[in-house]
Amino acid sequence: MKTLVIMNQAPYGDWSGREALDMAFSLAAFDQPVALLFTGDGVNWLRREQEAAAISQKAVDRNLAAATIFGVTALYADQQSCHRFGLDQHTMIAGITLADTNAGLLGEYDHVISLS
Amino acid sequence: MASIRTLHILNKRPGHPAFKSCLSSLENQDALLLTENGVLALVDKGLTLEGCVYALSPDLKARAIPGDASVAQAIDYDEMVALTARAQRVISW
Repeated sequence: MKTLVIMNQAPYGDWSGREALDMAFSLAAFDQPVALLFTGDGVNWLRREQEAAAISQKAVDRNLAAATIFGVTALYADQQSCHRFGLDQHTMIAGITLADTNAGLLGEYDHVISLS
Repeated sequence: MASIRTLHILNKRPGHPAFKSCLSSLENQDALLLTENGVLALVDKGLTLEGCVYALSPDLKARAIPGDASVAQAIDYDEMVALTARAQRVISW
């Protein structure tokens, strides 16, 4: 039962993006195969060197970097959204697979969840 | 420092409906202050911002968005307070 969690919420603006991340990590912790797809405003979670302490929040780049160790099978980022927000391999954290989301990526998963 | 007629404070992401209505209500002696998700406008290729634009630097730092002085002036919280005092009217979108 493969699950894909869609991350389309802008970072830090509200809690739904963080809740989706927590859900994905809990699924992984219970050995459920889960992957993350960052798309739309959600790709902004992936920018390097976020200093969330400036707004007294916790940055997520460390959890994302360790995601595969926690059991998350893949971290995808939608190509068009990355282009729109000027993100590429140098400005994004490592371990992200660029994906063309209308190429049937969603079809590979039994559950697709979006908390937007 | 030029006086500001209306200061528009915008904390919505570019895709949010309030974002468009804020931009369309901007007039020449107005200023726009981008905060929280609003700072994403500075990295959104689908957008060009004109006029007097400020952005809150803690929100830029949190999102690792480089301040581009040619587009928006990065300010801190104290300067934000000074800005609101200088404006005749403030609208929070």
